[in-house]
Amino acid sequence: MSVENYSYLRELAKSGLRSDQRKPFERRNIVLKTKVSNHADGSAYVELGETKVIAGVKVLPGEPYPDRPDEGSLNVNFEASELAANYPADRLIYSVEVGRVTDRAIRESKMIDMKQLCVTPGSKVLFVFIDIYAINNDGNLLDASNVAALAALLDAEYSVEGKEGKMKLPINIDNTPISSTFVKIGDAVFLDGNSLEETVADARLSIGIGKGINSMQKGGVGYFKQEEIETCVDEAFKYKDEIKSMLIEKLKS
Amino acid sequence: MYEERLDKRQFDELRPIELETGVVPNANGSARFKIGGTEAIAAVYGPAEVKPKHLEKSDQGIIICKYDMMPFSVPDRAKPGIDRRDMEISLVISNALSRAIMLEEFPSSMISVYVYITQADAGTRCASLTAASMACADAGLPMRDLIAAVAVGKIGDSIVADLSKAEEDYEGGATDIPIAFLPSKDEIVLLQLDGEVSKDELKKAIELGRKEANKIYELEKAALKRRFTYESKD
Repeated sequence: MSVENYSYLRELAKSGLRSDQRKPFERRNIVLKTKVSNHADGSAYVELGETKVIAGVKVLPGEPYPDRPDEGSLNVNFEASELAANYPADRLIYSVEVGRVTDRAIRESKMIDMKQLCVTPGSKVLFVFIDIYAINNDGNLLDASNVAALAALLDAEYSVEGKEGKMKLPINIDNTPISSTFVKIGDAVFLDGNSLEETVADARLSIGIGKGINSMQKGGVGYFKQEEIETCVDEAFKYKDEIKSMLIEKLKS
Repeated sequence: MYEERLDKRQFDELRPIELETGVVPNANGSARFKIGGTEAIAAVYGPAEVKPKHLEKSDQGIIICKYDMMPFSVPDRAKPGIDRRDMEISLVISNALSRAIMLEEFPSSMISVYVYITQADAGTRCASLTAASMACADAGLPMRDLIAAVAVGKIGDSIVADLSKAEEDYEGGATDIPIAFLPSKDEIVLLQLDGEVSKDELKKAIELGRKEANKIYELEKAALKRRFTYESKD
């Protein structure tokens, strides 16, 4: 990015203004499609503004971990694919961070009852693999990945050897964790930063809320004050029901 | 004998096709190509500086290509990342593109082509190459021609077009022949064969490949026209 653009965006932020004319806590429009990949047990395609991701869920049998012999397991993997560009950090490190933050929200919310994913205690459980691929990056891949992962999980229908028919995952919808990510530019804090805003941002804050706050991640080299974090948490709580209703509504039709 | 296809198609009938460009706004060019249950998304970046530097050619540009399958695109979960199969497919795609793109126009520079498979039901390398070619055209790269790629093959004694996975796995045996043309020049820029055919069968297969590639070529041209019409309204 040129020096002029950089200063311009920082100047805008000082007056609480954004490059795409949104209000500070205004999220971009979300487009959601499910059943977008035949061989996935569940899949979803999400657009958050121009940010585009695809997620697929596979439910596969495996051996349980020794310390949890009667529980299934969750594995979330995010790929900052080479289709997209302008990642805010090194592609591989960024992939790991987005994958792990998305994983934590889903895991800690306990939206999936891992005990119900046990087939034979000590020898056979089900692994839930969620793979998320970036197709285009216009910022905030974290929230786009969160919605795509949740939609793919809710969409999933899988079969188990020896049992008839398709099963839905044991999901408690009330616990579904919605992620809200904020960028901080100078003293301004914005929800759902686009790619330009991410490039000039000092810091980033992601909050995953299910019933309570299940995951947080401060990114970037800048800082937040306690009051700013509290404001972000308030905003995130305001948004989670809206996004959750959208998910439920879209998955009905 | 294979007299009726598993999905009731005619021997020379392609599965339903969807084709669109501009699906990755980040990229200089992009395209999505779907044929039956196989879908590829391609993005093109460049021409740009060559990295690593030792690959640079002073008299022409180079193409680097990466083909990858999304883990959920196949019945078993494919491990994320590139395996030997992915590497070979990347190579044959890159070879075909090198003939289509006028690389002499880009000395000392590099064009990067990335193709990801979102769902696979056979014919992924052909779908990838068609998508990649469309992405290059979408990027405005000077090309000798578009590339139209299709898998033809032999099932039982029949020569058929655009095999599905179920046909590739046909118990009576199937031969898979991915083939790609620069249709207006009648040049074959990708050819592989996996199975067993006679000389006559190969001849028939190539001829069927040409006929099918021409159908795809017409769809490619139509998609590009849509793209330009759209942009002129913008």
